[in-house]
Amino acid sequence: MNCEVKVKDRIGTINPIFTCQPAGAQYVSIGVKDCIGLVHGGQGCVMFVRLLISQHLKESFEIASSSLHEDGAVFGACGRVEEGVDVLLARYPHLKVIPIISTCSTEVIGDDIDGVITKLEEGLLAEKYPDREVHLLPIHTPSFVGSMVSGYDVAVRDFVKKFARKGPSNGKINFITGWVNPGDVTELKSLLAEMQIDATVLFEIESFDSPIMPDGSEVSHGNTTIEDLVSTGSATHTFALNRYEGGKAAQFLEKKFKIPSIVGPTPIGIRNTDALLKKLSEATGKPIPASLVRKRGVALDAITDLAHMFLADKKVAIYGNADLVIGLAEFCLDLEMKPQLLLLGDDNSAYVNDPRIKALQEHVDYPMEIVTNADFWDLEDRIKNKGLELDLILGHSKGRFVSIDYDIPMVRVGFPTYDRAGLYRYPVVGYGGATWLAEQMANALFTDMEHKKRKEWLLNVW
Amino acid sequence: MTRKVAIYGKGGIGKSTTTQNTAAALAYFHNQKIFIHGCDPKADSTRLILGGQMQETVMDTLRIHGAEKVTLDTVVKTGFQDIRCVESGGPEPGVGCAGRGVITAIDLMEENDAYTEDLDFVFFDVLGDVVCGGFAMPIRDGKAQEVYIVASGEMMAIYAANNICKGLVKYAKQSGVRLGGIICNSRNVDGEKEFLQEFTSAIGTKMIHFVPRDNIVQKAEFNKKTVTEFDPQVNQANEYQELGRKILENDDFVIPTPLAMHELEAMVVKYGICD
Repeated sequence: MNCEVKVKDRIGTINPIFTCQPAGAQYVSIGVKDCIGLVHGGQGCVMFVRLLISQHLKESFEIASSSLHEDGAVFGACGRVEEGVDVLLARYPHLKVIPIISTCSTEVIGDDIDGVITKLEEGLLAEKYPDREVHLLPIHTPSFVGSMVSGYDVAVRDFVKKFARKGPSNGKINFITGWVNPGDVTELKSLLAEMQIDATVLFEIESFDSPIMPDGSEVSHGNTTIEDLVSTGSATHTFALNRYEGGKAAQFLEKKFKIPSIVGPTPIGIRNTDALLKKLSEATGKPIPASLVRKRGVALDAITDLAHMFLADKKVAIYGNADLVIGLAEFCLDLEMKPQLLLLGDDNSAYVNDPRIKALQEHVDYPMEIVTNADFWDLEDRIKNKGLELDLILGHSKGRFVSIDYDIPMVRVGFPTYDRAGLYRYPVVGYGGATWLAEQMANALFTDMEHKKRKEWLLNVW
Repeated sequence: MTRKVAIYGKGGIGKSTTTQNTAAALAYFHNQKIFIHGCDPKADSTRLILGGQMQETVMDTLRIHGAEKVTLDTVVKTGFQDIRCVESGGPEPGVGCAGRGVITAIDLMEENDAYTEDLDFVFFDVLGDVVCGGFAMPIRDGKAQEVYIVASGEMMAIYAANNICKGLVKYAKQSGVRLGGIICNSRNVDGEKEFLQEFTSAIGTKMIHFVPRDNIVQKAEFNKKTVTEFDPQVNQANEYQELGRKILENDDFVIPTPLAMHELEAMVVKYGICD
């Protein structure tokens, strides 16, 4: 077999690719309107995550911490959750949803966040805020289980579980984007609009590409409303674009409300976008309009200019969230590129049985490595000591030092990308994303040709 | 509707013995479908049902094979009278976090839909005392709704029972858990029955049954069996049958009112156990 899936066999992690579960839950929580997550744990569990999200989106938003201290770890800290909820409600009159997001410390000491919610509902909410619509939900995200990706998956499921109700069919599809950028949401919504499909887009962070307005309102917030979440139980279908970032919610809705679920494809590249549109069309009966055929044509035109001449045979390493990495690898292969190494930052045992990975194993005709539970040393070690030659790296900003140290061009993609301006604004999904990605990769290679004086003259005559 | 029951009590008081004997009697005499979930890191809550066989625990399976290998096939064993058994397991003494083990094991069982609706009873047999959040897991929201505390007429057993009640009060409001009564596992000390009756009425509950001391229990244990399986004709089997019936018919569930230390000490002095 040319393409093996290996688990990193070295003990310990040198420069992790992912952070932990509560980060994923926090990313979901900012996608909900009138919602502030309350992370039950030490302050760092919010501070560093909020910083990461804020660096990535270059926006300001709110996430709260119960700020656990030594006394809380010994005596139990549910009291801090009670106090925290009260403070949040008193301070933010618009606030309606507070997910209580657990962390490693509070999971280990066994703080009963489900129980404290019952207590708050019967006590504080009934007594102090009787006329106010407030929803509390527990999200269990111990940091020593899974990764930020599974945290995202768990949180999406728990939000849906909390709110979804069966009503008469609303004629809409649930559309779970997975962990994406505002630019991706815009692109996906435009695909849906062109198809004239009515969809509930979850968890909708498009407006995190937010303006500064004359009235000074500049705090960003998600656009998924409580009504949206409630209506997920009455949808005709659930589309979860990313298997590992929303798949659990799709499964839940199918099991509980018998709503058929379509998991994937992550619509990165022409092939995957085509496949998604076909599935959308099959599910809804809506035809794929000529306008999308044209958009596809524009992307193909851009790609044709680049693929065979510049991108073909280029060796790539890709790291990050599994759905993203697999989607990018598939797209690279379609562009005649040669992904050498795929690094997935956690050890989800489902990866080896992922049909997309199986398809890679079946079709790739040169040696390709897929490493799970990987870290940045897996990348660096191969370049430094094991003769891995690369033309390009695709991944988020945490890997920038490998790119800098070994002088390998890099296209920033994934989360977080804080060392290049405005990346959150551009899609990697859909036909627009295919165009953007192909051109970004080409431009990175062009800059490298000039920088290393390698056939840079070619750019004069192209 | 499955009744989920947690059994607490001082270490060494006979929780596991009482739980297994009661479960066996409920299954044998009262035709109840039973599931026992052992929540003690020592993992000895099910061996009498399983004929002495030690089962691979949930935490061992998790550690050796990974969480996804924790399936009902691998960790649930069926023993006497089709009683289903699982052991949480946990770390060796002095390392790790046994409480976390309880949380993880119960979560995994729920994820695997182990507590099926056809069950009449799920028993959580919990280690000694509610020492941390983890050992309260069985009485959290949506889990055990009723608790029985195993005690005897010895001072430390009463102290422990009183402490467990304090833990219960804490959870009563947020999870709805209630105390169903105190099971006296007799140690043959003087005035035992009276002491327990006074203590239980002081904390607002009742002694649900006085299980007399009988060597047949030990004898059955040596044979790796519950009394009911060993010999259903003996008197002790009747006692467990009776305890089972009382639990089955119990409709008296309370939030206990644990005693302050000085009240408890006064009661101990009254029954002369300090002399």
